[in-house]
This record gives sequence, structure tokens and C-alpha cells, in this order.
Amino acid sequence: MAMEKSGSLMDPASERAKRGAFFFLMLFAGIIAAAWDLARFVWGGTGIPKEADFGLGIGMGVLMLLSIAPMWAARRKLDRGDETGALGNFSALLIVSLIMLAGIVYGWRAVPIGTGYGGIFDVTSGWLGLYFVGGALALLASVMKGKRVPQRFKDERWVAYNVLSFWGFLVTSWVIFVLIFYVA
Amino acid sequence: MATSDVQRHAQNGNGESDSFALSMIWPMVRAGLWGFTAYFAVAWITAMLAHTVIVNPLPATLGYVAGLIGWIMGSGIWEGWIRRAFGGEEAPALTGVERYFRFSSDPKATATRYVVFNIVAFLFAGLAAMMIRIQLLTPDSTKWWLSEIHYNQTFGIHGLMMLLAVAASVIVGGAGYYLLPLMLGVRNVVYPKLLGLSWWLLPPAAVAVFMSPLIGGFQTGWWGYPPLAQNSGSGIVFYALGAATLLTSSVLGAINVVGTIVYMRAKGMSLGRIPMFVWGLFAAATIMVVSAPATFTGTLMDLSDMILGSHFYTGPGGHPLAYDDQFWWLFHPEVYVFVLPAFAAWLEILPTAAQRPVFARNWAIAGILGITMIGPMVGVHHFFTAVSPARMPIFMTLTETISIPSGFVFLSALGTLWGGRLKLSSPALLCLMAMMNFLIGGLTGIFNADVPADLQLHNTYWVVAHFHYTILGSVIFTWLAVLYWWFPKVTGRMVNEAWAKFHAWWFFVFFNMTFLPMFYLGIDGMNRRIAVYLPYLHSVNFFVSISAFFLGAGFIIPGVNLLWSAFRGSKATQNPWGSKSLEWHSVSPTPYTVFPEGREVVVVGPNDNYAAGASEPFVWVPTTPGK
Repeated sequence: MAMEKSGSLMDPASERAKRGAFFFLMLFAGIIAAAWDLARFVWGGTGIPKEADFGLGIGMGVLMLLSIAPMWAARRKLDRGDETGALGNFSALLIVSLIMLAGIVYGWRAVPIGTGYGGIFDVTSGWLGLYFVGGALALLASVMKGKRVPQRFKDERWVAYNVLSFWGFLVTSWVIFVLIFYVA
Repeated sequence: MATSDVQRHAQNGNGESDSFALSMIWPMVRAGLWGFTAYFAVAWITAMLAHTVIVNPLPATLGYVAGLIGWIMGSGIWEGWIRRAFGGEEAPALTGVERYFRFSSDPKATATRYVVFNIVAFLFAGLAAMMIRIQLLTPDSTKWWLSEIHYNQTFGIHGLMMLLAVAASVIVGGAGYYLLPLMLGVRNVVYPKLLGLSWWLLPPAAVAVFMSPLIGGFQTGWWGYPPLAQNSGSGIVFYALGAATLLTSSVLGAINVVGTIVYMRAKGMSLGRIPMFVWGLFAAATIMVVSAPATFTGTLMDLSDMILGSHFYTGPGGHPLAYDDQFWWLFHPEVYVFVLPAFAAWLEILPTAAQRPVFARNWAIAGILGITMIGPMVGVHHFFTAVSPARMPIFMTLTETISIPSGFVFLSALGTLWGGRLKLSSPALLCLMAMMNFLIGGLTGIFNADVPADLQLHNTYWVVAHFHYTILGSVIFTWLAVLYWWFPKVTGRMVNEAWAKFHAWWFFVFFNMTFLPMFYLGIDGMNRRIAVYLPYLHSVNFFVSISAFFLGAGFIIPGVNLLWSAFRGSKATQNPWGSKSLEWHSVSPTPYTVFPEGREVVVVGPNDNYAAGASEPFVWVPTTPGK
């Protein structure tokens, strides 16, 4: 059996390509999120039911906005070449993602799924929850890789950058979700 | 092992022989084992907890998701990707024949698996078509063949599988993923593992759809329209999950195609020098990334109504027509996902066959991109009978506008042939036949887009004939052309030309004998999707069915021809067609590392200049060691 190690000539994309092409993945994910968000007005109308947990929604929105701080800190450290230093920020974001997941599930109790607003709220937040699962797994993978094989983490810096870009996408998606489902 | 060692190892064919057979078979077996175990375990537990039976929608859905994860983990993704991503042991990538049987980041292996999958899916979906035609041999065959319910299930499976498991990937997956790096002058795509994953999503999705009758089947055809979907049997969840998985697979490939084209072209390959086939792939991928989300959400909302108790499309607050909009937002332009790579393949094959440059190349590219932009906006013409009059003229006009960029591509192909000395090889012959068929399919489509005509023709066999001319008549003819054209690149051997041409004519004759009468049937009042029809339509239906049996049986010829030629065909030279395209500048069959270490290609001219004495469009320059 002939074998080849990963990260060789047969994965020739530059860091620019790996980071740039990630935009297309986020574009696809973003259009899906936008479709769900817009569907709120088709199925949920423009009113907000009184059962909707406004406090929870705003609280989670604020938490996501605050998470921009560790995200930017991690990015600056990566820019400086301090990959190990960024791991603490990755861990903080991992904790935020788990809190968000718990909040999403907790939020489903407020409005029944059988109503127009409840249905689109649950499906949209559930779909964003899948994004958070993906984000949490990516953050966990980054933290574990950074601790176990720091050199590989450094060599494949584009992965860490893409994880942070995805977190930025999550912040944007969640803030739009809050605006559309709790404010608009 | 450094890649240069791998190259020598692979090229010399000195792979170690220990545990070779096991290493080939085990990942597939393990994937199946983990997949089925996970499916039944989760479906069973869910059924127990929900106090229901295993075939109900919720257990079937959760079982499918678990089975899908089990399958892809078993395929080698765990040790080849996931474990490594978490900082675990780095599993070496296999470079020998084993890579075709497991998760692999080699696009050539992925593309080869696509071809095999497409052939198998085409076989089974084709058998479903034969079952449909047996049904229609007589006006009422329900006593001795399929019941109405099973007939509905059969044409639903046939339609969904032919579209999403065959047409969507025959050219993009099999040829596109193989040729994209070769044509762009790079060794791999931008995300090789993501591309590898795209194939492993296909088999479970196809198995779910084909097996849907086991849990009640579905009655909706390949549309999955609510509210019939919710009253259609549990099999509809396999339809929804299978369709969503197949779409996901296409999107993973599309992201790779777009990213690779944007970021990884060889030096000197400006937009004007990108090969035509790559433009076709780019257009198809763009449509997938931009349009798939609407349909994806519609499918999942349909599923949510079935398993979570929401009422998006059912009940007093439901909007069933919204599903139609979401569905056709992608699934009309999906036709262009099928056909644009086929158009582009014509413009890759015909210039070489005629030894002429692509005529009006920039107009052809504009045509391909024009179709890409207009395509997502026209889906409403599929349900003119259900929308308000205000929408009709808008979508009629938009749909008919598609003819203009389509005309650019057609005229470019015809202009390329004009004055050339066409060497009518089997691929060139099939391209011409595909053009002829698409012309009929395209012209009859104008009638479908025209509201007054459409209100008469809607839901009749006219529509069935029209879309078979565009998809079977165009895409599948071109698929064969593509397979024959690049067969020497992949195998190093030529396809038997005589049998290839014989089958091309067989296919062309019986295809037209099958589908041309369907236009007449449609005009004469035969509705589509009916198991029982009025006796006055019998003679034409009988003729169509007999023709269809010949058409279907004819596919034994290319099947045997391809298999035989792969092992016994005459040895091909490196560039048997005399093409100027970059993929023919490397060794055939393509080695594992297609562009060897130590040199890279620079594009210095157009790849379709066949004038006598024209300079080569590519030069090779040395690179620094390790690159």
C-alpha cells in the first residue's frame, strides 16, 4: 500500500485560497439563515406573541455581541503568530457556544410549534442551533489540536482563521435573528 | 513519506501487497455495518420511547440521521479527517487502488466513484422507468402489474433518482471533479476532504429513496408537494431526507468548484483563458450555492410538518403554495445545473473534433452566465395553473428570455463547426445528437413558458416529452460523449469506437421513437402520472413502451463497451484527440500526482487555437524544491 501524509503536495491550496473559499460555504449557510428569517413574516406575521421570551432572546443577543471581544483577541494573536495564546479565547468561545445551545433549547418552551410564529421560531432557532453545534465542534477541535499538536495547529493556521470567521458569521446570524423575531 | 516518494511508488506500481484485499473491502463493509446498525438502533429506541412503530416518520428520520453519520464515519472519515482534526494521529492517505474504496481526498478517486454511483443509480432508476412503461402497455394494467399507489411510488422514485442521483452529478461529479484540477493546472481542489465527503453522502440518500416503499412509500412524485406529502405514507420522510442529503452533496462539490476556480488557477490563466468546460462547472456550482438554500429550507419545513407538528404547509395557517415557490427556486435552475456543463462539454469536444477555435467564445461564456443569472427567477412557470394572473406575464417573459443566452451557446457551437473539418468520433457524434435533442426540448419549452399554451399543456405528456428531451436527450447523450472523450485520460485505453457509434445511433433512434410520440399524446389529452388511461390512447402508448424497452436494453452496449475497453481496449496515446487543452498535457492514465514536483505550468495563450503552426498554449517552468 502506497501512502502519503496529509498536508503535502496533494493539498496545494494556499492559505489565501483556504480562507477565501470559506466565504462560499458561509454564503450558502447565510442564504439559508436569511430564508428562514424572511419566512418569519410569511408564517409569523408581523406581531410578536406575548409568550415570546423577550428577555432570553435579548440576553443571548448581548452574549453573542460580547463574544466579539474574544473573537477579535484570538484573531490578533493569530496575526502576531501567537497561536498558543489564542487557545484561551477559543475556549471562551466554546463556552459561549454551549450556553447558546442551552438557551436555544430552553427558548423552545415559550411558544407552541403548532402556531405560525412558534413554528418558524423553533425551526429557525433550531437551524441556527445546528450552526452552533458545528461551531462548538470546530472550536473544540481547534483547542484540542492546539494543545496536542501545536506545530500542526500553527502549520494549518487557516483552519483557526476560518473557525473565527465562522464565529463572526454566527454573531451576525444571531443578531439578525433577534432583530427579526423579537424586535421587528 | 514525501510526495515525491509517493509519486515514484505509485508510478512504479510497487505498492505493498499485505492486507491489500482487506484494505479495499473493509471500509465499505464497515460503513454499511455502522450505518445500518446506527439506523436500526436509533429508530428502534425512538419508536420505543415514542410508543410507536419503527416505520413512523419520527423514528425513520432520527434513524436516517444516525445511519448517515455511522456510514460516513465508517467510510474512513473518522481516521482520515475527524480524528486528525482534533489533534489525533495522522492517518496516511492511501495512494493506490485502495483509495477508490474508502474516504479519500484524491479528486480522481472521488470522481471515479461518482461515475460508478451514477451508473448504478441510472440502472435502478432506469428499471423504474421500464416498470412505468410496462404499466402503460395497456390502458389498465393494475390487475396484473402495479396498483395506482405503487405506480405513484415508482414514478416518484424514478424522477427523484434520475434527477438528483444521476443528472445532477453525471457530468459535474464524474467528469467535472476529475478534470477541474487538471484543466486549471493544479494538483487538487481547494477542500479535497470536503469533496471526498460529498460522494459518501450519495449512497445512503439513494438507498433511502429506493427503499422508501418499505416504510410506506410516497405518492407525491419527485415534487413532494404538501399537503399530499403529509398524507402520503411515511416513505415521504426518506424522500425529504434523501433529497436534502443529495443537495448537500452537490453543494459541497459546488463550493469546491467555485473556490478552486477563483483561487487556484495556474499562472497566466486569466478569465478569458479558463477552459469552456470549467466555465460550465462554475455556472452550475454558482446556481447550487445561491439557489439551493430556498429549496433546502422548503424540504426541511415539509419534514418539520411531518415530524415536529408545525403547520407551514398544512392546517388553517399553512401556505402550501409557498412550498411550490421554494421548491422551484432551485429545481428549475437545477435543470441548468445539469445542462450547462453539458453545453460546456460540447464547446470543449467540438473545437477539437473540428480543429477550430470556439466561435464567439466570449458570447458563449456570456450565454452560460446569462442562463445562470436568469435561471433562478423563472420557476413559477411550473405552476401557472395555481398562481394569480398578475404573476403570469412576468414569469412568462422571464422564462422566454432564457432562449436568448441559450441561443448564444448554440450559435457558438454551430459557428465552431462551420468551415471545420469535423472528425466524427463517437463523442462528437453524441454531442451533435445532444444538440439536436436539446433543440427540440428547448423549442417545446417555449410553449410551456407561454401561459395560454401552458394552461392547455400543463400536466400532460407534452411536458414529460419536453423535459426528457432536455435531460435524457441532452444531458445523458453528453454524459456518454464525456465518458468516451476522457476515457483514455482516465484508463489509458480507447473505447471501442464501432460499438460506441452503433449505440449512439441506437440511442438516438429509440430515444426519439420513445419521446417524440409523447408530444402527440400530450396534445391528444393524456395526463401525466396516471396508471390508467383512456383506451383511445392505447396504440401510441403501446408503441412508446416497446420503443422504451429497446431504448433501455440498449444501455447494455455502453456498459459492456466501457468495461471491456477499460481492460482490453487499444492503448491510447497521451493525446489521442489532438486537443490543446491542458489535461492532455499530462500522462495518461493520470498518475496519483498529476503535476509532478519540481515544475509547474504557465498559461501563455488560448487553449483552442488550432491554426497550423500555432504555438503551444502552455509552458512548464521549474519550481522550488518541495513545490
